[in-house]
Amino acid sequence: MADPTVEAWTRANAEYTDARAEEAWAKEEIDWGIWHVPESELRALPDVAGKDVVELGCGTAYFGAWLKKAGAARVVGVDPTLAQLETARRCNEQFGLGLELVEAYAEDVPLPDASFDLAVSEYGASIWADPYKWISEAARLLRPGGELVFLRNSTLVILCSPDEDVPATETLQRAQFEMHRFEWPDEGVEYHLSHGDWIRLLRANGFEILDLIEIQAPEDALTHKRYDYVSADWARKWPAEEIWVARKEA
Amino acid sequence: MPEPEYVALNRASWTLANAEYTDRAAREAWAQDEIVWGHWHLPERELGVLPDVSGKDVIELGCGTAYFGAWLKRAGARRVVGVDLTPAQLDTARRMDEEFGLGLELIEANAEDVPLPDESFDLVFSEYGASIWCDPALWIKEAARLLRPEGELVFMRGSTIRILCLPDEGPATDRLLIPQKGLYRIDWQEGDMAGADFHPPTAELFAILRENGFELVDFRELYAPDDAVDHEYYAQPSADWARKWPAEEIWRLRLRSS
Repeated sequence: MADPTVEAWTRANAEYTDARAEEAWAKEEIDWGIWHVPESELRALPDVAGKDVVELGCGTAYFGAWLKKAGAARVVGVDPTLAQLETARRCNEQFGLGLELVEAYAEDVPLPDASFDLAVSEYGASIWADPYKWISEAARLLRPGGELVFLRNSTLVILCSPDEDVPATETLQRAQFEMHRFEWPDEGVEYHLSHGDWIRLLRANGFEILDLIEIQAPEDALTHKRYDYVSADWARKWPAEEIWVARKEA
Repeated sequence: MPEPEYVALNRASWTLANAEYTDRAAREAWAQDEIVWGHWHLPERELGVLPDVSGKDVIELGCGTAYFGAWLKRAGARRVVGVDLTPAQLDTARRMDEEFGLGLELIEANAEDVPLPDESFDLVFSEYGASIWCDPALWIKEAARLLRPEGELVFMRGSTIRILCLPDEGPATDRLLIPQKGLYRIDWQEGDMAGADFHPPTAELFAILRENGFELVDFRELYAPDDAVDHEYYAQPSADWARKWPAEEIWRLRLRSS
């Protein structure tokens, strides 16, 4: 396995995501990000009842499981990390939700054009795939009028994150100019664009931007035990995560 | 609508700025042939963010000395109306308009409450005008009212990251000094001047725009060019800061037809 991102997620699955997959799949309520802010508060998703959904960078596919439980007709999870898909398959059998799980990169998905109503990504392709490749794939996979909803880190938290594996600071650690590809120690390769570049990329791929939600950590949130790239205190003052909602023009 | 209390403060600070700087800078700005953006004078021909203004009816909200309106008139706009709440700035604009013979219409009013009929413009424009000095909940609603269906709104303001890094005095730093939580109205004081400006973060401003029927067409974050030098008058981030982080941003939106 030469791909550092797949390597990092194979390790993360053994250390963490495999062991907590059942708990995540079992949850009844859809929530977002490391602070578990409920969808019922954020209202980022369209009604998924009867919809065909693809999750790009699904990991153990708990988000896809929630969407299937919320009424989606078909949910396909796509991920390049075999270990995570094996966990997803085990959960899928256990919960009997009938997800389809495909081993592939979100930059190059082996599925036909215009076959989905909704493409989602929660800390998936949204940060581990190159936006200049996966956004055009999402546009290709969606039917006209289909929606794209994804959660990523805020640009600000990336700017405030030092090169070392320590939480975000209150100082700008790097320039925003031409930000794009990031290699963190032992974390694989991530992609982070500025708001301006996201908007232009989405527009260039025929998306209308419907919403941008900057997520604030709740008052009672504690710093996440594993995902400690940002403290709860920081994320109460500045957004560390954001959700984009876009619609493919008909 | 009664005048909000920050309007008098902003009028006083712009009266002073007019005496200190903008009056004497007006002729050079009006005389310029090329449309440029912001403190680093980035040429529109490189950015390409404005719609074609030929034959269009344009209103500038918070026009100051109206040099941008003058450029749009010269670029072919049929009608250009400049709205500003500071008489001293409008006096300068009128003097320039006479000198250059461009036929702008200049109106003393608050962009939150413009005495002009609904659906009478194709383009609403603001460069460091209403875009920062007026309450977005009010002026964006006015912009939507003034526009014809499918009309466009283009405005420039400072970036959110610059606001977050602003100390009480002096240019932006590389530290987050202001929480983004609750960011909306900023009351400031600098020497003899005091005032209020408005800076909802990106997501909040976008939500206000969507609520008022606007669709986002383009969004540009502007950086200082390599050869930029610090501005002679405005307390800007240093050119060095603005090469790394965007100090200014341009929003372009279209009013949905339905």
